[in-house]
Amino acid sequence: MSTRPNIGQPHATESLDDDKPFVGPEDIRNFDPARSLAEPGQFPYTRGIHRTMYQKRLWTMRQFAGFGSAAETNQRFKYLLEHGQTGLSTAFDLPTLMGRDADDPLSLGEVGRCGVAISSLDDMRRLFDDINLADVSTSMTINAPAAILLAFYICVAEEQGHTPDQLRGTLQNDILKEFHAQNEYVYPPHPSVKLVIDTIEYCTQHMPQWNTVSVSGYHIREAGATAAEELAFTLADGMEYVKYSIERGLDVDAFSPRLSFFFDVHNDFFEEIAKFRAARRIWTHAMRDRFNAKNERSWLLRTHAQTAGVTLTEQQPMNNVVRVAYQALAAVLGGVQSLHTNSMDETLALPSEQAVKVALRTQQILAHETNVTQTVDPLAGSYFVEKLTNEIEAKANAIIDQIDAMGGVVPAIDRGYFRRTIADSAVQSNKSLESGESKIVGVTDYREENEKRTIPILQISQDTEDLQVARLKKLKSERDSARHKSALEALRQSAANNENVMPALINAAKANATVGEMVDTLANVFGRYDGGPEW
Amino acid sequence: MTNQPIRILLAKVGLDGHDRGVKVLARTFREAGFEVIYTGLWQTCESTMYAAMQEDVDIVGVSLLSAAHMTVMPEMIRLRTELHIEHIPILLGGIVPVEDHPKMKDIGVAAIFNPGSSTADIIKTINELATRPQPADVKTAIADYQARKDIGLAQLLTSLQQGQSLNGWTPPKGNATIVGVTGAPGVGKSSFIGKLSTELRSRNLRVAVVAVDPTSPITGGALLGDRLRMMSGKPDEGLFVRSLASGTVQGGLGPNLADTVKLLDGYGFDVIFIETVGAGQSDVAIRELVDHVFLLVMPESGDAIQFSKAGIMEIATHYILNKADLAGADRTEAQLLGVLGDTKPIWRVSTISGQGLPDVAQWLESQRKTA
Repeated sequence: MSTRPNIGQPHATESLDDDKPFVGPEDIRNFDPARSLAEPGQFPYTRGIHRTMYQKRLWTMRQFAGFGSAAETNQRFKYLLEHGQTGLSTAFDLPTLMGRDADDPLSLGEVGRCGVAISSLDDMRRLFDDINLADVSTSMTINAPAAILLAFYICVAEEQGHTPDQLRGTLQNDILKEFHAQNEYVYPPHPSVKLVIDTIEYCTQHMPQWNTVSVSGYHIREAGATAAEELAFTLADGMEYVKYSIERGLDVDAFSPRLSFFFDVHNDFFEEIAKFRAARRIWTHAMRDRFNAKNERSWLLRTHAQTAGVTLTEQQPMNNVVRVAYQALAAVLGGVQSLHTNSMDETLALPSEQAVKVALRTQQILAHETNVTQTVDPLAGSYFVEKLTNEIEAKANAIIDQIDAMGGVVPAIDRGYFRRTIADSAVQSNKSLESGESKIVGVTDYREENEKRTIPILQISQDTEDLQVARLKKLKSERDSARHKSALEALRQSAANNENVMPALINAAKANATVGEMVDTLANVFGRYDGGPEW
Repeated sequence: MTNQPIRILLAKVGLDGHDRGVKVLARTFREAGFEVIYTGLWQTCESTMYAAMQEDVDIVGVSLLSAAHMTVMPEMIRLRTELHIEHIPILLGGIVPVEDHPKMKDIGVAAIFNPGSSTADIIKTINELATRPQPADVKTAIADYQARKDIGLAQLLTSLQQGQSLNGWTPPKGNATIVGVTGAPGVGKSSFIGKLSTELRSRNLRVAVVAVDPTSPITGGALLGDRLRMMSGKPDEGLFVRSLASGTVQGGLGPNLADTVKLLDGYGFDVIFIETVGAGQSDVAIRELVDHVFLLVMPESGDAIQFSKAGIMEIATHYILNKADLAGADRTEAQLLGVLGDTKPIWRVSTISGQGLPDVAQWLESQRKTA
């Protein structure tokens, strides 16, 4: 091991065009604190959406989890509720995320692996068995089949005697970023967005406490986008949903307060803080000036954040704890509303219980020991952070203008703009690593030869899949087939007539139609998307 | 060993959509001078190994981040034996716990790369592993071809690409309808051929596709991405797809394309599609090789006018207005009619809804030459 590292040339933050050693008043010459910042909780909310921020209420520590069968996850949920947690966060397995049943040939080996397997109302009932849905708030990380899972949830609540307006929770329901990055889409962009607007319309009318879309930059960034691209693409996606909802005839102030965001927190510490500040400012202006929202709550960018999975290394995995801690600090200094901290072993497998605990403790130490919660937006007025905030805002606005010039997000998807841009940036960051311009401790530098793994990893049992497939076969053979058939036909007609499909989905859920069957029915009307231009 | 670029097939198997790594590698390999065939998302073990056989690649790289390697890789190795392509080494990249590495090596995986591997190391390993015996045994390949074994066809195609003689042997004359498909990048040529092929297969017609993509003049590498629009996840013995790099040959048609087409014709396909890069030169050159030329345009692209200027409108025999469900389709059709008069047919199709494809398929079926 070398004793004195060659630090080389420190590389400039990606969002800055220069790399001056220090920044002074001349770098923020047109900076008007009253106009660009105001006070926390005031327009344009650069400093945060609440006046008191974490003094009155800490951010929500929301760790995302789920695996195996509905019954196993139900046990985990009850354990968490007994220990004082009031919000549930559900991870679904890949077949469910892709709208496929457990017995679909492409589901082989994936059932219950990376989340819980839900193929039918029966599974959803099992997932929330003995949990009063009027008492909890439930977050569901699901996109292409989001409307179907929402229908299941409404049905389970109804069986418990609750009406939809009593339900609290969040659907991720952000299909646009699936086309850009995560690839969990089914239908072409246009009908996919129509389904999102169906859920926004339904919830606005029937579920006023439900967060309809969590507009997500996380996956865009993880796929390789720069901070400015993550910011611009995510906000442009949000604006696309607003635009289509207004076109549907909804009042902008009726649905906008229920849109929320989800960003990545990466390694470049100050850039990430600036990103959150710029995000609030851009969104506020867009909602007020572009969409004429009058309600202040429509102007607020509420956001969840997750530390950057892509920065974790398989080599010397304990180092990941440190990376996560720095990223978590950036999120908190950036004023996020909730945070997920990654576990150190996530490049190896699903996190072990011990690793999850350290990740949660990282947030608790930050909240209770460092005293960063005592004041709001402590970096306001820093020459560097204000300059960075201005520059990332300008860069993101320029990208948003470019997307507008293409006719909006959906036409830009058709041209392959997002995928190409993200892939270009991913290649660029790989080159920068290989040339030595950027470094990863333990990987490009300070490597240890013949490293032995020092942390245990989680093993998943293989039984879940067989049980789930057997249960599904039984359901299919025992259900009222006439009712099932007519419910799917009604769903097909509803989609073909361009109606809001939520009522037809609820009806099909009650007739024991499966996720795969409902997705296939809709795909027969909407078509299936093959991904659009790739390079 | 001839001086041919290494051909590598990169595959993602299963439902996982995390494709950052595989896409970075695809581009890095192209820059390293390889011909890269990326088969896209949601592939199965079968579709991957069939593709490896049809494309006659030197090496296969599998990306797996969903922890499914213990089920997927043994199946890959089994299929490799079944398809008689044991000479193709298989690499594995992704999240593979070190405990599983010995097991993977035991079943025959040539090398494993985890996150943090440098691309220089990966390229070095590929250069060491991709050592196919040259020249390919033409005699055996001809025998396989005559016995209707796809591997024979695949290997003879490679021989032609490498400029080898077939020992004076010429393929029999077949009865295929040969169709050139051209149009601007992004107009959906590959998706159109993919969906049309499915339609033709449902009518029991056997289909071959030759997809030509450009070779980088700087590195000699190429990214052959058309195949991913034509894969269904299920292998189909009546659909043969071969991705070619244009090479440095003038016209961008790839070396020996005429002989390549004869070889496919003689194998007994009913329809052969040749997809070209959509640059002016190659479109004119293609006219010599084919029975029909389909020119694809899409709404609001202004292609009709550009093609008209470039003289490409004349070589087309049929016009395909793709994405006909988009706004502006009527106007573009009117524009086309304005340029063409009504001398040549225009088909309105949508590869997403399937609109219009049966009409094209039916017409192609009616063009079948009698044996």
